[in-house]
Amino acid sequence: MTDEYAVRLEGVTKRFSGHTAVDHLDLEIPRGSIYGLLGPNGSGKTTLIRMIMGILLPDEGRITLLGADPDQTRRENVGYLPEERGVYKKMKVLELLVFLAEIRGVTRKVGRGRAGDWLDRLELGGWADRRLEDLSKGMQQKVQFISTVLHEPELLILDEPFSGLDPINQDVLEAIMLEFHRGGMTILFSTHLMDQAERLCERVCLISRACRVLDGELKEIKQRERTGVVAISFDGPADWLAGPEVMRQEVATGAVHLVLHKGADPKGILRRGVASGAEIHRFEVVEPRLHEIFLRHAGGQAEEGSRRAAPGTVRGSVAASR
Amino acid sequence: MRRVWAVIRREYLQRVRSRWFVFATAGVPLLLVAATAVPVVLASRNEAADRTIVVLDLSGDVGPWVARALEKGGYVVEPASAVDEERVRRRVESGEVGGYLVVDRESLVAGYARLVVNESPSALRQLSIRQAVIQAALAHQLVGTGTDVEQVLAGGALEIERIAGSGGGMNAPASAAAYAGSFVLYMVILLYAVAVMRSVLEEKTNRIVEVILSSLSPWQLMLGKILGVGAVGLTQLAVWVLVGGAMVALGFPALLAVRPELAELAAITSGLPGPSFFAYFLVFFLGGYFIFSALYAAVGAMCNSDEEAQQAQFPVMILIFVPVVALVGVIESPNSTLSVVLSLIPFFSPFLMFARAVGGAAPFWQVALSIVLMWLTMLGVAWVAGRIYRVGILMTGKRPTLTELMRWLHQS
Repeated sequence: MTDEYAVRLEGVTKRFSGHTAVDHLDLEIPRGSIYGLLGPNGSGKTTLIRMIMGILLPDEGRITLLGADPDQTRRENVGYLPEERGVYKKMKVLELLVFLAEIRGVTRKVGRGRAGDWLDRLELGGWADRRLEDLSKGMQQKVQFISTVLHEPELLILDEPFSGLDPINQDVLEAIMLEFHRGGMTILFSTHLMDQAERLCERVCLISRACRVLDGELKEIKQRERTGVVAISFDGPADWLAGPEVMRQEVATGAVHLVLHKGADPKGILRRGVASGAEIHRFEVVEPRLHEIFLRHAGGQAEEGSRRAAPGTVRGSVAASR
Repeated sequence: MRRVWAVIRREYLQRVRSRWFVFATAGVPLLLVAATAVPVVLASRNEAADRTIVVLDLSGDVGPWVARALEKGGYVVEPASAVDEERVRRRVESGEVGGYLVVDRESLVAGYARLVVNESPSALRQLSIRQAVIQAALAHQLVGTGTDVEQVLAGGALEIERIAGSGGGMNAPASAAAYAGSFVLYMVILLYAVAVMRSVLEEKTNRIVEVILSSLSPWQLMLGKILGVGAVGLTQLAVWVLVGGAMVALGFPALLAVRPELAELAAITSGLPGPSFFAYFLVFFLGGYFIFSALYAAVGAMCNSDEEAQQAQFPVMILIFVPVVALVGVIESPNSTLSVVLSLIPFFSPFLMFARAVGGAAPFWQVALSIVLMWLTMLGVAWVAGRIYRVGILMTGKRPTLTELMRWLHQS
């Protein structure tokens, strides 16, 4: 049981003065998976991640990290990129990386070697001896990403890793994450970017208003969230489109969308179409995009979240409200 | 522990390599060296001629007395009589001798004399020549009475015999050492405790603290930071002590060789701090630094900006200012009840007990007690500051009120 999951949350609750950031949340992240944590601003993603990292303590519930309490020995095997990323501006790039590796138990020598390799790989090799204040924001972010993997962790926790990166570097990061995934690493990341999540994640968890709304394998969720829309493009007669299954028709670019009644079987429509002699180019039961699922489940909350942050609260909620 | 070591190392190297540190550490001794070397260099130009003074005796009997007094002050004296004045004047003009001094009967009764020189002499030189004339006049007048003119002119002596009481007051060199030592302690402790606060604040405002706290406990981070910054302070002090020691050992004799009129300053060397001074300094520096740096670390963790920190550090500043204000009184009467009580308060001990100990005024048991109290306080402060730090370091928004702070202390 303990070894099956990299992270396991049972009934975890965190309250800050005035509001509940995470409310009796259960979550299981299987080892070796790429797991996306989705949710609108202020939904509690960052608070959740901070609790997993042991930076905040839950008020209720239990968190298991790599088979035990999130103590220092466990955290040593985690690479963590927080949402708010800071650096020592006056330090040199390589020095900072070696220092951050050292406080995670990597010797200076090993840290130096790995940092050098990564800097080269991310095309920062020429910047190793420059001060961080000389680097652009995006470059600093790449340095921070490097610092999360120098100790070769079992589990990678990335809070909004793509924000602030240009499309090229987003692709580079995506490729690296997939590479780690193939190497057996567990990756948990939060994001607003549904396209990225859709491409990368095996499993996602959607959090809204401090609660888990959806959780599971992406494929399964998509099937479950099918809205019964069929996209059809064809030449020829169109009268076969109407039928008892169809609630209404919508004309989309290059296709007609048929919105079916709940539970209706689209096979009858296809049969009628073939019989009518129309030339059908496309007949597809449309899977909803993650984006739509997200909006459907969290749409109402997005605006609310931005009003929530109060002064004097822990940074998690303030940060998330931006 | 290796992680704490990494924090110490980072703090230390980042600071020691900074321009500010190099400037302050090397600059202070350099200034001192310059202050010593400049007069030496200036004086050593044409020094032999400069130190030669011709005594032109118009009275016929004062001359030798003045000459003797001047020679004692390190001058080379050439006697001459009134008829030689034109010739002597030319020698002064050509720079062959430093000047000539005209003495007559008036010198005997009023200590009056006339000095003829090319350039106006330094205040020190004027003083030493004037003293020589007065001394000569008095010695001449009091000859045969057995008066030790030199001793009388030095201000006599007052021998103090105490009948009762523990520990005494401080003599002049001891109280000077106490003042100077306490002042340096105050400066260094404040400087480095505030440096800890700034470092905490920097990590908090640029958010790197979250990355670090995912690998280190807040307690480890605070400990590493305080030790690292403290090591920088010790380094700086060590450089200063070594350079200062070298200057006293080598520079001062060199200075005396060219400027013998500074001989009176040599009295200072006798009052210079010995090993016990440095031992006390180290003990009280460490105690004071640990107490105040932990407090300042907590202040830094509570705040979000420099401006906020300026205000929030006020209560801590008071703890440092009270002893500074009390210092004068404590050194004046080191064994009054008030002095004893104040110097035993752990927050004040680093300055006040240090002063009393260095001045030789505090009985050993009081010094020992204050050190024990100071280290106990350190543990208490570390506990309180560690908790405030732990909660505060990840907080943003409004600075906590006192009630909130109390709640932080109770949070596990």
